[in-house]
Amino acid sequence: MTPEAWYILLYSAGVLSVAVGMVVVSFVLGQRHRERATDEPYESGIATTGSARLRFSARFYLVAMLFVIFDLEAVFIFSWAVALRELGWAGYAAALVFIGVLVAALVYEWRMGALDWGVAKRKNRSDAPSEETRK
Amino acid sequence: MREIVFHLLVVVCVLGGTLSMAGALIWLERRLLALWQDRYGPNRVGPFGLFQPVADAIKIFTKEDWIPPFADRAVFVAAPAVIVVTVLMSFAVVPFAPGVWVADLNVGLLFLFGMSSLGAYSLILAGWASNNKYSLIGGLRAAAQTISYEVFMGLSLMGVVMLAGSFSLRAIVEAQQGVWFCVTQFPALVVFLIAGLAETHRLPFDMPEAESELVAGFHSEYSGMKFGMFFVGEYLAITLLSALATVLFFGGWLGPVLPPLVWFVLKTGALICGIILLRASLPRLRFDQLMSLGWKILLPVALLNIVVTGAIALLGK
Amino acid sequence: MTVIFYLSAIIAVAATFLAITRTNAVHALLYLAVSLLAVAMVLFTLGAPFAAALEIVIYAGAIVVLFVFVVMMLNQGTATIRRERAYLTPSMWIVPGLLTLVLFAELVCVVAWVPEAAGAPAEAIGPKAVGMALFGPYAIAVEMASLLLLAGLIGAFHLGRRDEE
Repeated sequence: MTPEAWYILLYSAGVLSVAVGMVVVSFVLGQRHRERATDEPYESGIATTGSARLRFSARFYLVAMLFVIFDLEAVFIFSWAVALRELGWAGYAAALVFIGVLVAALVYEWRMGALDWGVAKRKNRSDAPSEETRK
Repeated sequence: MREIVFHLLVVVCVLGGTLSMAGALIWLERRLLALWQDRYGPNRVGPFGLFQPVADAIKIFTKEDWIPPFADRAVFVAAPAVIVVTVLMSFAVVPFAPGVWVADLNVGLLFLFGMSSLGAYSLILAGWASNNKYSLIGGLRAAAQTISYEVFMGLSLMGVVMLAGSFSLRAIVEAQQGVWFCVTQFPALVVFLIAGLAETHRLPFDMPEAESELVAGFHSEYSGMKFGMFFVGEYLAITLLSALATVLFFGGWLGPVLPPLVWFVLKTGALICGIILLRASLPRLRFDQLMSLGWKILLPVALLNIVVTGAIALLGK
Repeated sequence: MTVIFYLSAIIAVAATFLAITRTNAVHALLYLAVSLLAVAMVLFTLGAPFAAALEIVIYAGAIVVLFVFVVMMLNQGTATIRRERAYLTPSMWIVPGLLTLVLFAELVCVVAWVPEAAGAPAEAIGPKAVGMALFGPYAIAVEMASLLLLAGLIGAFHLGRRDEE
């Protein structure tokens, strides 16, 4: 095992003890008190209505999905970028095709309105050629 | 033997230095904001209010350390620790001066990406575990924002990696002996800084906490030092972002006359002040603007930068 | 290095077991993330730093985040926990468990009898070597992967959109 690995392990141990220390010290030193509304979630001062286990629009999910797929594409680009000079023009051509497909995907999502959030989205719908596709 | 002692010293100094930097930043930011807004800022505790962070620390450590009974206890406690650990771990691969680093990994940059993506857990889990509506919305926003901007940040740095031919941050600094990458990779620098700010969810990208609409977003239910850890994590993240911009674009420790470490600190300090000035001068974006900015401007710019840089690097070979 | 390898391997197995048995989906996913981080450590000790870093960036940092995100959005509450508990009756897991055991036995046999299958490479494979292999001899596979990802993107968009209306 290289000395470098030991240093990084030592450093990680230091970092972990700092984080744990902060939590523990604050727990030990902190005050305690109980009032009538102490145990209620904060909702701008009014009594809470309903549970916080809400459900959300699937659009958030779309962002996450886009992210994961683009992250995967980025990783391929990473591995090309680091070996750029060794791979030469042949590698460049391969990467260009790869990035081309990525751009095609981006353009498609853009045209279909997957990248529009909020106001822009609604506008898209009203002047929609896709009128017949939605019920 | 001497080398071991030197490295142990480096490990301790990096840890102590970054943490005290976070404390100092709390003071610096309030003073600078006050300066730009034509008021005094903290000036009571010690000369120029310099001991304000110490007073803040004492106060925050003795505040009630409340774990809501409706929260998911284990996750609630772990979430703030995650952000402190991931940001501090990122400093392990930052080269401060020749030989002054905790570790020089040949996948250093990827290690940083990994740590920043793990940092996203902190906000998401804090939002979920709090079991509060504001927190949940803040957590979801944080998730969508940080995970999107990670992609742009990664892609923006690939031009730098191509020119340096390595993921090692030491090699990237050494590749800037001639020209700093802020000249040859200017679009990448802009994308990196914007994406980095969004990653640290600072103004103008602080939608996850947006106090005017979500109270405090994902940390609404946090008190005491657990809140303080999010706070410290944010300042550590600003320091990290500035240090990384220095290493990747502004030649790291390179510079004439002065010793390398001084150059590194000066450049990082200047960038930190720039980031604070941004907070003083820009309003918060809307969430859809944030997403459009990322996917429709930053991503195409980053991709174009990769393609052009690759061609130029190969032509110049 | 060997000590760290075995330590991370044990953590990976234990965390995976906990990920399967937890009834709270978010807790299970956190154990899954821990397990993936431990696997990254295993890869690192075996001399594959690039794969280790990608394990963190992609699996722990992207895919599990996506899972947590979806679980958070759908917020099923206590009903799911009850259903999860029902899934954990022996009749549900005993047959898949046995089949996996057979696969595991095969794996042990392969490692024991084929000497090349076991052991770490003599030296660490850096990121540059991986890039040269991917965009050199395996360029076609990379292009196919890009098409697969394209299909994934389009599919995700259309599935997501239908839900919305």
